[in-house]
Amino acid sequence: MRHWKLTGAAIAVAIAGAAGADPYEEYAGTTLVVNFPAHPHYDAAIRVLDQFTEETGIEVEVDQLQYLKMRERQTLELTKDEGDYDLIAFVVFSKADYVYADQLENLARYFMNPRLADPGYDQADLIPGYVENIGVAGGAKGYLPGQLGSAYGVPFGAETSILAYRTDIFERHGLTPPDTYEELLDLACRIPELEPGVGGMASRAASGHQASHAFLLHLAPLGGKVFDDAWEPVINDEAGVAAANALKTIVDCGPEGGTTFGPAEAAAAFKQGQAAMFLDSIAFAAGFEDPSESTVAGKVGYVMHPMGERRASQTGGFGLAIPKNAPNKEAAFLLLQWLTSKEGDFAVAMEGGNPSRFSTYADPELNAKYPYSETFGEALKFADPDWRPIIPVWGSINADIGTTMSQVLTEGLDPQEALDGVAERTRDTMEEAGYYTWSPAE
Amino acid sequence: MLANANRLTPYLFLAPAVAVMAVALLYPIGYMIWASFLDWNPSQRIGEADFVGLRNYVDLLGDAAFRESFWVTIRFAAIVVAFEMVLGVGLALLLDRELRGMTLLRTVFILPMMIAPIVVGLVWRYMYHPTVGTFNRVLDDLGLPSAPWLSDGDWAFASVVIADVWQWTPFIFILSLAALQSLPRSAIEAARIDGATGWQMIRHIKIPLMMPVLIVTALLRMIDAFKVLEVILVLTNGGPGLSTEILALRISRTASEFRELGYAAAMSNLLLILLLVLTLAMFGYTRLTEARTARLARAREIEVG
Repeated sequence: MRHWKLTGAAIAVAIAGAAGADPYEEYAGTTLVVNFPAHPHYDAAIRVLDQFTEETGIEVEVDQLQYLKMRERQTLELTKDEGDYDLIAFVVFSKADYVYADQLENLARYFMNPRLADPGYDQADLIPGYVENIGVAGGAKGYLPGQLGSAYGVPFGAETSILAYRTDIFERHGLTPPDTYEELLDLACRIPELEPGVGGMASRAASGHQASHAFLLHLAPLGGKVFDDAWEPVINDEAGVAAANALKTIVDCGPEGGTTFGPAEAAAAFKQGQAAMFLDSIAFAAGFEDPSESTVAGKVGYVMHPMGERRASQTGGFGLAIPKNAPNKEAAFLLLQWLTSKEGDFAVAMEGGNPSRFSTYADPELNAKYPYSETFGEALKFADPDWRPIIPVWGSINADIGTTMSQVLTEGLDPQEALDGVAERTRDTMEEAGYYTWSPAE
Repeated sequence: MLANANRLTPYLFLAPAVAVMAVALLYPIGYMIWASFLDWNPSQRIGEADFVGLRNYVDLLGDAAFRESFWVTIRFAAIVVAFEMVLGVGLALLLDRELRGMTLLRTVFILPMMIAPIVVGLVWRYMYHPTVGTFNRVLDDLGLPSAPWLSDGDWAFASVVIADVWQWTPFIFILSLAALQSLPRSAIEAARIDGATGWQMIRHIKIPLMMPVLIVTALLRMIDAFKVLEVILVLTNGGPGLSTEILALRISRTASEFRELGYAAAMSNLLLILLLVLTLAMFGYTRLTEARTARLARAREIEVG
């Protein structure tokens, strides 16, 4: 009898022990190799990795590269039988390539594993626009969520667009920050008259990806899109022409040399007081508020991306994923989960990163440190995950839009004629890629 | 039997070196040629790519952006090599004398070609900056309107030409100077005794004697100008529009941005063929010139005899 009592006690202790077991224990001592971009958000993330190691016993080695170099390296790494990276950050347009080539782990099997998935993770708190844009594939149009879609990544270092404006200039002339495109375009050209030497709005517009990005930034809110539901290009419709004209107005009334600007140059022009407005990624806000690099620190206000036919700010940036050929997938998932959890997201945000959760944006402590956070959280409710297509042939279409827009901006090419050409070439590209295989015969 | 073995011995000794050279030199070229027949994206291994025969080459013929890049490249290479040859040879003729401080001056002249092209691109990009750049500041100080250095197609093309001429004229200069200093002194002395002026010496003695070296120099520079990438990448990234998108940049974007490795390989092969034809033409011209000079010399010997 005594023997059975002892055995029962031992089992109870074992069960209690198992119930309270450390989920990280099995992986303590593992060293993960992660591939991150050189980006302020990831610089912030690297600063909190010691905390992860302290809590879990899992070591992390970071291979940080300029983001285009990172993409090149990943392209080679992911085709190997056994990869070197356990966890990668990927830029959003890589989602199409990596998922299509079956190079990323489907995260469902990790979130289904009770030993790995943290019940307090709260997926509903993640910003839907970011998750749909960066994380999920296999649903609508192939690259969006849907009934049969699944998650291949989690947003981390994602971005949306916001309008930054000079409060001192607006106050001096009794101006109200623009809420619509009509107001935005009016102010973009009125401010240079009111404040000689100051451009209306600084925008990226350099030939190629930058001009394409700037055009698409206006296309979605003005009611346009690149393709209709049957993949037919509709970029040359009325909304497309309106977006091209909007970009031309902004660049013509913007700071000198605007047609050569990438995002960094446009942000620099705003920081140096050469423009009164800046419409681009939220990632630049921290730099505007830093007096060591910005002459306008403390004089910047933020409002939502103005509305045209609808409200639609961009979605982009980075997500985290586990490569199919990763050596330590389960430990990598634990790091992914830790970094994108409420606690991880908040810790990275406090270091200057971009939150991916509504709860982080609403946090009073974060708002005390970065007063614009709440506005950003509000703007993210309108983040459009489908403002640009994420398809494998996007690279060449994007470049064509970008060089054509550059010709509109610098050579006076007629926007309608320019976009008709883009639509025709895009159709050829899509046809070759097989997008009309299932279209009814004409 | 023994004689046969003796004949084979040199080939046996050469074989390892030839094998290594063949693998190191020909394998990558063969790989590139093979890749140009494939529909290959970087997410695939080369063995998984579909064979498409000559389709990539056929597509190139109808590719307006490729044609534009091709002409931009030809124009760029022809203009920069012409400017660099005139300036480089001119400088060499000017500095081919023993004066105090000449060594220092020559060293200063060759500094630009020692700088990494990426750095050259960054420095010139800053100098071309519309508001804080050196050039527009100078124009502003002179009361002149600022110039759209990189924001207008024609200006941007001129700007990348200027940066390239700045960096690579020293290459022509240093080779031309070496050629000048190795000319037979007797020919120059003879011309001087005959009362030739400085210009006559340059035109009738120095330039003709330097010609074989100048042709090779121009050829090397031309090959390099066809492949220039970094400076233009940093300065304009091919824009505005396609006004400065040279072939090397188009190839690089096709491979990394558009992820079409087979198509990029086909472009590279066309560039390779173009450079090969150019090289053969230059060598052919050099041989013709040498043969003509030799014929003239023989004729003169007969006359004298």
